[in-house]
Amino acid sequence: MLEGLLGNITVEKILFFLLVYEEGYPRGMATIFDVPVNRIQQQLRRLEDNGIVVSRLTGKVRIYTFNPRYPFLRELKALIERAFAFVPDQEKDKYYRLRTRPRRTGKPS
Amino acid sequence: MTETLQRNGIDALLVGGACVSIYTANKYISGDLDFVSHGTMKEIAKTLEQIGFHKKSSRHFERNDCQFFIEFVAPPAAVGSEPITTPFELTSKYGKILLLSPTDAIKDRLAAYYHWNDFQALDQAVMVAKDQNVNISEIERWSIAEGFGEKYQNFLLSCTPRSRKRKPD
Repeated sequence: MLEGLLGNITVEKILFFLLVYEEGYPRGMATIFDVPVNRIQQQLRRLEDNGIVVSRLTGKVRIYTFNPRYPFLRELKALIERAFAFVPDQEKDKYYRLRTRPRRTGKPS
Repeated sequence: MTETLQRNGIDALLVGGACVSIYTANKYISGDLDFVSHGTMKEIAKTLEQIGFHKKSSRHFERNDCQFFIEFVAPPAAVGSEPITTPFELTSKYGKILLLSPTDAIKDRLAAYYHWNDFQALDQAVMVAKDQNVNISEIERWSIAEGFGEKYQNFLLSCTPRSRKRKPD
């Protein structure tokens, strides 16, 4: 959808992921999208280098979010949201409908 | 460094904590020098090599005898969703540098406080406000436009010296 503009499909998936879940870490995204983790890391680094995302270490995991200080964030999110509306339901169910509400420790996942 | 960049036609605006160091006469010391430049990384790397800086990662440069960590942040130069339109020019014995104005330096620090609740950044904004002549009404306008009118009040309170109640005799 935005692949032509963004350069590749991986970065499009990452942006959809961050739009829906607000944050993510490379291995988690790689597992969900079933792509090599270094491909995700490479694109996240590119986005970080350009100020579009930021990261922080939580324990040993590097968590990425949109950079709230990116001056075009509102416009970028609007574009991603518009494109996300065209994602087929099957794909949305597969990638973008994971449980995000809390689940108490000890309950079966 | 900025002189070398300028000589080679590369713009470089100093942003971030280093501006706080300058405006507070090193009350806060930053180990980072963050620049925003429209030059390509290739051009910047080639130019900085002339004065011994080597690229350490995609946007970082180091030189053995330099204590600072140099980063070229991706443009545009902005505070929140607004572009920086009036940078300051500072002349030192080492040459001229372009940097954020004290008012923009405060906005830059407040953006970190507003978005990430970074109280270090709030303290730095307060330091600059206390040491420099700044446009407080402009900072207020910007804070409200960014959607952080309430947090701006915390900044304002932090800038105001607290009056101490006298103990009763």
